[in-house]
Amino acid sequence: MASPFSINGGACVAMVGKDCVAIACDLRLGLQSMTVSNNFPKIFSYGNVYLGLTGLATDVSTVSDLFRYKVNMYRLREERSISPQTMANLVSTSLYEKRFGPYFVSPVVAGINHTTGKPFICGFDSIGCIDFAKDFIVSGTASDQLFGTCEGLWEPDLEPEDLFETVSQALLNAVDRDALSGWGAHVYIIEKDKVTKRLLKGRQD
Amino acid sequence: MASSLIADPTSSSHNLYSFSPSDQTASDIRQHSFYPYTDNGGSTLGITGNDFAILAGDTRSTSGYSINSRYAPKVYRIGGEDETGEGAHIVLSLVGYAADGTALQERLNTVVKMYKYQHGKRMTVKACAQRLATILYSKRFFPYYVQAILAGLDEDGRGALYSYDPVGSYEREQCRAAGAAASLIMPFLDNQVNFKNQYMPGSGEGHDLHAKQAEPLPRQEVERLVKDAFTSATERHIEVGDGLQMLIVTAKGVEETFYPLKRD
Repeated sequence: MASPFSINGGACVAMVGKDCVAIACDLRLGLQSMTVSNNFPKIFSYGNVYLGLTGLATDVSTVSDLFRYKVNMYRLREERSISPQTMANLVSTSLYEKRFGPYFVSPVVAGINHTTGKPFICGFDSIGCIDFAKDFIVSGTASDQLFGTCEGLWEPDLEPEDLFETVSQALLNAVDRDALSGWGAHVYIIEKDKVTKRLLKGRQD
Repeated sequence: MASSLIADPTSSSHNLYSFSPSDQTASDIRQHSFYPYTDNGGSTLGITGNDFAILAGDTRSTSGYSINSRYAPKVYRIGGEDETGEGAHIVLSLVGYAADGTALQERLNTVVKMYKYQHGKRMTVKACAQRLATILYSKRFFPYYVQAILAGLDEDGRGALYSYDPVGSYEREQCRAAGAAASLIMPFLDNQVNFKNQYMPGSGEGHDLHAKQAEPLPRQEVERLVKDAFTSATERHIEVGDGLQMLIVTAKGVEETFYPLKRD
């Protein structure tokens, strides 16, 4: 049988811009080559921190619910919302707890730290090893294609509107070369005190 | 019992000899194997313009995690007068198993040369493309383990590019990436050469939007895209790097350029 990471398909990407970050995902949910749904978003928000999850769909749902619980508990105990850096460490330790029976997900964290005002993105493997990146993070079945488009299109210090165009083109063109991803996309542009969410139609085939 | 009379005092009663009984039984069943192919990595890329065609390839040759060579060309001139390729009008890139690449390049080169001797005229790119497909299919059950891209100028002097699978299925295209980093380069090319997912600003909303039409790019622009594609692939793929070799076919002949890539 196929790898658990590529049964359902899906793609996610995060990028850093000038005082902003972007995170985007496709909407496909499939079972091998059969598409089951074209409305399965893979980005979840926890206050002002965003988490993208690709991989096995059942684990995407389980892990997103688990972090909703954990982040709510954090907010009640600490009486403040969680920072992206803290979220990254929470994701890392939570995944490593399942070291010998992991969730089959490749998470991506994106957000702006409200104390420092600095953009933050990072990615993880399925057992919680953090990849801190200054430019972009990719995950999912279209990760090879995303590496190519991001490496070719991204440049430092993009303004929010340009970052939106860059991340959208990177995702759309990548998923069009992956049979397991696509069918529309969600794009979040996160600024200091504004978040813009856009739905992209993309190719429907 | 006989064994007790001649037994070595150091050995146990059931073992008569100083070597273990398994040594004298027929040897264990062993599976021998020979795999005739190696993946030598690397990537190639071809783009056509109005009056030119560019074929590019990195010059790294690998096997596994080892680098065998930092300068092993995988773009070749076809139809030249001598071994330098002088006077060639067709270019060919072969990525995959390097030994098969060299062999196939030599074979096609010979065919194109013989064609000129027998017919007294240069082989067209269209004819050469069909011939290459036939050669690849003739080894349908022991294939040349390569992804080929053939380029030149067609009968009208326009850039022509043909891409192949290892057994000869082929198609004429505007651009194509092949090899290890094809999955990284191809979506970038879709976007920057064929303007995929790009629309004309202010041309309408939703389904009324007009897609940006692809048109042949000028040579400077194409060379810039090829360099961008390879520096990007070098950054993220371990089998790509060292050097970028480009063969540019124009009405004047074949030009060659070399551009160093990261060697890490």
